[in-house]
Formats: sequence, structure tokens, C-alpha cells
Amino acid sequence: MDETLQEDSSVSDPTSDFMKDYQTLARQSWEAFSRQLPSSPAVNPFAAPASPTSGNDTLERTLSGLKGYFDWMQGVAAASGAGSVPTADWNQQLQQMFGGATPPFVQAFSGIGTAGAEGFAQQWQSWMQAAQRDGLGDFPGAQGPTPAFGLNREQQMQQQAMSLAVFESLQASARYQTLIQRANAQGMERLQDKLAQHAEPGRQIDSLKALYDLWADAVEEAYAEIALSAEFRDAYGEMVNAQMRVRQLQQQQTEQLCQQLGMPTRSEVSSLGERLQAVRRELAALKRQLDGNPGRPATGRQSPVTPSRSTAKKVVAKKSPAKQAQKKDAVKKAMAKPVSKLATGKLAAPRSHSKSRPGTPRKRK
Amino acid sequence: MYTPLRIDPNKAVADIAAFQRKLAAGMGLLRNMREPEYANTPRELVYSEDKLKVWHFKGHRTPTSKTPLLIVYALVNTVWMTDLQADRSMVRNLLEQGEDVYLIDWGYPDGADRWLTLDDYINGYLDRCVDVVRQRHALDAINLLGICQGGAFSLCYTALHPHKVRNLITMVTPVDFHTPDNMLSHWCRNLDVDLFVDTMGNVPAGLMNYVYLTLKPIRLNQQKYIGMVDILDNPVELENFLRMERWIFDSPDQAGETFRQFIKDFYQGNKLLDSTLEIGGRTVDLGLLTQPVLNVFAEQDHLVPPDASRALGKCVGTTDYTELAFKGGHIGIYVSGRAQREVPPAIHQWLAARS
Repeated sequence: MDETLQEDSSVSDPTSDFMKDYQTLARQSWEAFSRQLPSSPAVNPFAAPASPTSGNDTLERTLSGLKGYFDWMQGVAAASGAGSVPTADWNQQLQQMFGGATPPFVQAFSGIGTAGAEGFAQQWQSWMQAAQRDGLGDFPGAQGPTPAFGLNREQQMQQQAMSLAVFESLQASARYQTLIQRANAQGMERLQDKLAQHAEPGRQIDSLKALYDLWADAVEEAYAEIALSAEFRDAYGEMVNAQMRVRQLQQQQTEQLCQQLGMPTRSEVSSLGERLQAVRRELAALKRQLDGNPGRPATGRQSPVTPSRSTAKKVVAKKSPAKQAQKKDAVKKAMAKPVSKLATGKLAAPRSHSKSRPGTPRKRK
Repeated sequence: MYTPLRIDPNKAVADIAAFQRKLAAGMGLLRNMREPEYANTPRELVYSEDKLKVWHFKGHRTPTSKTPLLIVYALVNTVWMTDLQADRSMVRNLLEQGEDVYLIDWGYPDGADRWLTLDDYINGYLDRCVDVVRQRHALDAINLLGICQGGAFSLCYTALHPHKVRNLITMVTPVDFHTPDNMLSHWCRNLDVDLFVDTMGNVPAGLMNYVYLTLKPIRLNQQKYIGMVDILDNPVELENFLRMERWIFDSPDQAGETFRQFIKDFYQGNKLLDSTLEIGGRTVDLGLLTQPVLNVFAEQDHLVPPDASRALGKCVGTTDYTELAFKGGHIGIYVSGRAQREVPPAIHQWLAARS
């Protein structure tokens, strides 16, 4: 039996008891500490963006990451201390440290994938429950939609389309999750390989932090390899596309409801925005014409002009008076008043920025 | 044969206790800290349009450079990475070198900006910003410094408006979007971007941040916060950490149409590389770039792999092409101590030699 295992075997039951007591105390202390903070909402990256980082947001974000680490440390300490049964199989010891008894680590990784899907799943659940309650939908699952008839035919077909989209999205998310789990498992294998390189005096891992850092290296490497695979690319695209199909159907149904209630819909507002932007482009083109600067040559393949030190006034080639008058006439028809060269935006009166003002970008609503 | 794990239970307990003590003590400091300010190098607003602003920075000394330098940042994240904190400000450092620095702050797009296209950004906004700076200095052409996506914009702009750009600098700028180590590109290759934008409209900043975090999930979601516990008792380092957190997460949404085009044409189609990209009905041919070009990239960049940037050298038509490889990452190239010593001086020297 080697030296280290002899040391390990010297851990007595009282130590194990101490560890349990300590764990309880530490957990209580953490929970008391965490209670000072507002509860953290589930992460849903597809939801409306949260307000910019506030103090509490920083604390929550920080704590959510640290909690997994903290729990893991306790688990490993317990495994080290309470693991008084000597074993030459350090791989087994490793499994105890990172295995099912310490789920936060696994959760920290697998949560990557679920974070996006959970929000949707919750939305779908309530959506499907509501549809079921109203008797509008039939959940086709893998069987696909069935024909619908009568007054509510359209609604039934829409509900079935929604159900099918949800089903497909959940399948896509499951496929993605499988890959995340695979990355996690391969990370463990890599960790074993890395640890094997430390099996000599002076190179042994003797702290929780060192073990954690090695694990982080291993699992990131495994993840990167999988994330760059063709299989992951397919799964990722499929998952996002499936989620978008669900979301689009949700939006369509919401819009129908809004129309019935006489409320403006997002499509209508968006359509207005599209038209307005088109008008702005046309206006900008007219302004360029008015300034005698069409802006864009007929072809994109023009020869570069050697820069000179001439003044900006020379940048705009002077036109003949007749040509200028012709252009102005054309533009007058489209515009009520003349515009300056940079009328699209505002040339600011020099305004100094002071430290008390936000140089600080403004907060998003 | 020794076991590689030699974790003394008593030491482990001590580690946990120490971790907890640091956390408890540091949280008091954390809770009382105010939102960290950026460097806020003195500047004046010289132009605004919609949500866009053009800032002119004021240094302690009069610029020695005769040609102003306009910084074109990416649409993702905010421009304040270039002026993050007093001792880590690329802008401030460039001013101290003698450059006359302008910066385009794109602002935070909202629903009204949903239909802005690449044409609107590049031939519209950017062109008008360039015109403003040209007019202020009575020059035909100015120097452009494009960063990341802003570098791609600057390349497109220079190809389309060559007479307005005297020298072009690109920093961590992707040109070949299909290098095998480009994880972002890999992930969006099978994305139905039409469905995505038609559904989402503008792309929320939170979603963008989520994607970036999942590039290195453990490091960016957990490990760095564990590292933060070690600096909780150091107000200066903690403030720097929080400032970076602010910059990372206080980021703008992406205008839907521009996002659609950028993903389709750049990430999926890789059209910038093979000169098949069209913006505003005109072909963007990097072979037409005959201006001097300085291409700065980061050797450990996980967002824009070095090879994605190096590809520029094979595309541009100029005979005056220079590469500067920086030993660091995508962010470190602006804010690390090494970056302060190496990058702005190199940019200034390169420009000075071409003034």
C-alpha cells in the first residue's frame, strides 16, 4: 500500500463526523447568506432582455456560479474525509467526487443546454394546457396532425401545428442535451488522463482548487471538441430552428387574439417600420442628388482615388449651374424645404463630455 | 505507484472555511460598491443621428497627427471597451501617442431600428460619420480603425469608398469566417436565419451574451467568479472586475435585418473572402483596397481565430500590408497591460510612417 493511501486510511470516524457537522453548518451558513438576496429567476436567454447589470444582478450571477463550486467542495471534502476506506483505485475516488453524489457540477455543465430550453418548455406547457382546457387542440405527438372540421377548423389546425412544433423542439433539445452530457462524460475521461500525469510525488493534486481547475480544463477541452463537430452543428441548428418555429406560431396566435381585441399587432408595427425605413433611404438618396453627390457609382468596382490635401469643399465636384438647377427642380417636387449636406443627422454644437454625465451609455429599457 | 489525488481532509476543510470567510468578508465590500465608471476620457459630441453619436476625444496634448483616426467599433457590445478605464484605455493611449481620435458610438437599437440594413450602416451611417470628420479637418480622406465586426464594416466601406480612407487599420477582424476553429461560425452554419429574424425581430443582447458564454461555459460561467473571490478584499481589482462585467453584459440588441445579412453573407456565405459580397447593390471587392493596411489580431482569440484575420493578407490589393500579432485574447488586446505597451504605440508608429 502506498504512502498516500496509508495517510488516507488514517482518517478516523470522528473526522467523518466532524465533516458531516461541518457540512451542515456550512450549508446553513450559505443558505442564510443567500437569503439576503432576491430569488434569481430562471435563465431564459430568449426572453426579453433583462435590465442592465445592477448590483444585485451581479451578486446573483456570481452566487449562482459559486454555489455549485461551494457544494462540490463540500462533497469532495466529505469524500476525502469520510472516504476512510482505503482504495488504490483513485479513479473510483474521482467518480465519487464528480459523480452522482455531487450533482451541482454536472448541473453546471448540463444547465448550459437546458437554460435556453427551459423557458420555452414552460411557455409551451402553459400554452398546451390552455389549449387543452379550451378543447381546441389535439396533441398529435409523433403521429402528426389529424384533419379538422367545422367552425373551429382553423384553430384546431393551428393548435395541432403548435403541438407538433413543440414536440419537434423538445426532440431537438433532447438531442442537444445528449451531446452536452457526452461532453461532460468525456471531460471526466480527460480529467482521468490529466490526473494520471500527476501520479508521482511532488506533482500530486493536493487542493480542491487545483482539482477544480484541472477539471475545468478537461471539461472545456472535451466540450470544445464536441462543439466543433458536425453532429453538434446539426443539433444546434436544429434546436434553434425548432424553437423559432414554436415561437413564430405563438406569435401568430397572439396576433390573432390582438386583432380580435382591436389591438395593434407587432406585425403591423413592424411593417410600418419597414416602410418608414424605405422612405428614409429614398429621402437620403434625394438629398445626395440635391448635394450633387449621387454617392454610388454605377459599378462597385471603381478605382481608388489618390488622397489629396484639398479641402472638403473640393470633395464635391462642382456642377454646372444648369445641371444644378435641373436637379434642384426635381428634388423640390419631393421635398418641402431645402436640406443641408448633413441634414440626415445633427452636427452637434460642441458639447463637452463631463464625468458626471454618462459617458456611461444609457440604460436599455 | 502513487495516487495523483492527495487531498488532505483537514486541508480541504480549511480551504472551504477560507473560501467562505473570503466570500463573507468580500460581499460586504461588493454590496457597497457603486457601478464602476468607464475611463470617460474627455470628449465632445460632434455628430449625432438616430441613436448614433460621433465623439471627438480630447487628450492632454495637441495631436501631432495631421490625419484624424476614426474608430469603427462592432455593433455587438458597447464601444467603451476602447476607453474602459484610465490605465487601460486604448483611446487615451492613442491620444498620448499624438493621434486625433474620433469614435462612432452606435447606441442601443430598438424596434425602430429593426429594418436597418448593412447598406444603411455602411453606406449610410458610417459614410456620413466619415464625411463629418473629413469636413471638420478639411481632408479628402481620413484614417479608419475598425474593430472586430467594425473591422469588417471598415473593410467594406473602404472597398466601396476608397477615396475617403487614407490608411486602414483592422483589429481582431474576421475575414475568413470558415476557418475550422471558428466555433461561432460553426454553430450558425445550419441556422435558418430568415426564420430566426422573422421571428425575433431584433436579436436581444441577452441572447447574444448567452451564446458567447456558451463558447467556454465553465470558464465564463463559473471559474472566473471563483477567481473573483480571491480579489474580493481588493477594492481596486474588484472594481476592475465589475467594470468588465458591466461592459460584458450591458450590451445592445442587434438590428434584425443587419443581423440577417451579416449571418447569411459573412458567417454562412463567407462572401467577404471571395469578393461576392454585395452591399447596397455594389460588390465589395477587397482586391480594390490599395490603401496601406495594418491588420492587428490576437493569437489566443476564441471569437475571431487568428487565421480568420490573417486571411486578409491574401485578399487586399495593396502592396503596403502589415500584420501585427498580439499575444493575448479578443479582449486582452485592448485592456491588458501588455496591450497598452504594445498596440497603440505600434498603431501610431505605423500611421506616422504613412502620414
